Amino acid sequence: MSDGGIPGAAAAARGAAGRAQLEVRDLVKTFRRGTRTVEAIDRFSLSVNEGEFVAIVGPSGCGKSTFLHILGGFEPYDGGTMLLNGAPVRGPGPDRGMLFQEFALYPWRSVIGNVGWALEVQGKPRAERIAAAERYLKLVGLSAFRDAYPAELSGGMKQRVALARVLAFEPRILLMDEPFGALDAQTRELMQEELNAIWQQTRNTVLFVTHDIDEAIYLADRVIVFTARPGRIKDEVRIELERPRRIDVKKSAAYMGYRNRIWDSLRDEVLKAREEFR
Amino acid sequence: MNAAASYSRGRRVALGLALPLAALAAWEISARIGDVPSYLIAPSAILATTWEMALSGELWRHTGQSLLRALGGYAIGGAAGIAMGLLAGIARPVERFYDPIVSLTYPVPKIVVLPILIAWLGAGDASKIAVVTAAVFYPTFINSLYGAKGVNRLYVWSARNMGARPLAVFLKVILPAALPQVLTGLRIGLALAFIVTVAAEMQNSRGGLGFLVITAEDSLRFDLMYAAIVAAGVIGFAGDRLLVALRRRALAGQSVGKEGANA
Repeated sequence: MSDGGIPGAAAAARGAAGRAQLEVRDLVKTFRRGTRTVEAIDRFSLSVNEGEFVAIVGPSGCGKSTFLHILGGFEPYDGGTMLLNGAPVRGPGPDRGMLFQEFALYPWRSVIGNVGWALEVQGKPRAERIAAAERYLKLVGLSAFRDAYPAELSGGMKQRVALARVLAFEPRILLMDEPFGALDAQTRELMQEELNAIWQQTRNTVLFVTHDIDEAIYLADRVIVFTARPGRIKDEVRIELERPRRIDVKKSAAYMGYRNRIWDSLRDEVLKAREEFR
Repeated sequence: MNAAASYSRGRRVALGLALPLAALAAWEISARIGDVPSYLIAPSAILATTWEMALSGELWRHTGQSLLRALGGYAIGGAAGIAMGLLAGIARPVERFYDPIVSLTYPVPKIVVLPILIAWLGAGDASKIAVVTAAVFYPTFINSLYGAKGVNRLYVWSARNMGARPLAVFLKVILPAALPQVLTGLRIGLALAFIVTVAAEMQNSRGGLGFLVITAEDSLRFDLMYAAIVAAGVIGFAGDRLLVALRRRALAGQSVGKEGANA
């Protein structure tokens, strides 16, 4: 794209430690509710570097999931530009790996069949498919369940299979839409640790949407706070906690500092969002 | 483990057979004692007649004719219903195109158009196959339509996210995801195929199990009539069992979740 829409700051960031992998500029999304036009996202801009883990938190209904769906190529948008590795985002594609809260595993396929699915539609030979699927199943610790069906797995295991399925086709960026939102509190904690450990090995670029502040701080390099609808950036916090992160980092003073700061800026927005639903 | 699961297979079968066997025994005994109307013939006599007709080949001839009509119409109506139903389920314009005509003609009992079909196609197999086709089409169409429409949106999104083209999404996601409901439509359709076949043969034909029932009635041969009914029942039952077994095979992974998935 040669419209010169990327300002000098982004170009500078690209030259810095990590290259900007994702460039979102002035994204606008509206939708119609009856005769009214509702603004879901209002001129939202974000730049994510290669290998960076960015979490987005915000009140429910603020448009943070909508943003991921637009980025995934599933929903149209009304303005702005989105560049992934310099190329505009158009429609869905395997350069972005989506992970959904509801897992979206295919119930008629075994675990290994699910994980190898993307490589199958891409026409990779069977042996290569199976080898890749087994490698990623091992990464998420589910090798023993390769022949099980999704219905036989717990929620946490299902989401690990879904993660292996996405990792298996090696997307440039992972888009996670509240991936642990459907899990119980304890499983959720364990999954955060698990994802943290996996990320430490794979170092994917990740955009992680959640409403859980602790999850965001523990996992991310940077936390973006969304405003209530229409979604805009309210605050941006760089998380300078040492990596690899251990679970007891959650007890540190620095962690609590981040938590208080993010909650302070999120609180007003949650109240505003609640007001709107009255 | 719950109580139902601890039943052995034999005990379950025995439980299911208890009522039919008791009814048969009561029927047999009352028929032998003799204080029943002439149309209630002892089961043993019905069995003997059925056996005799099977040996003479007469029963097979009529059964074969009925099967040809039922399965011919079933294959055509089922294939058309699935193909058009799935297409309407994934493409809104196709659904809108078919909806008025399907909604209007769905409640019409298909057997009433038989006279028209006979005028058009003659009194042979073709008109019967056509009426069976019409009867089978609706349940398979409607179930396939809602099966395809009800496919989890995220299944499709995941597939497209993984780079699947529209044909692959259809064959590898929509089709398997809609399969349980497609099979439900096929099961309803099979029962209807047998019902409509026999009904059509009772109205107008020179062979088949429905014809056998009517001729037996005319000559007051109630034993013959029961033999035809038994044959129709056996075929219908066998066909349904076959479909259920097929369904269990096809949905191997999915049925697991129905009972106790929270491992």
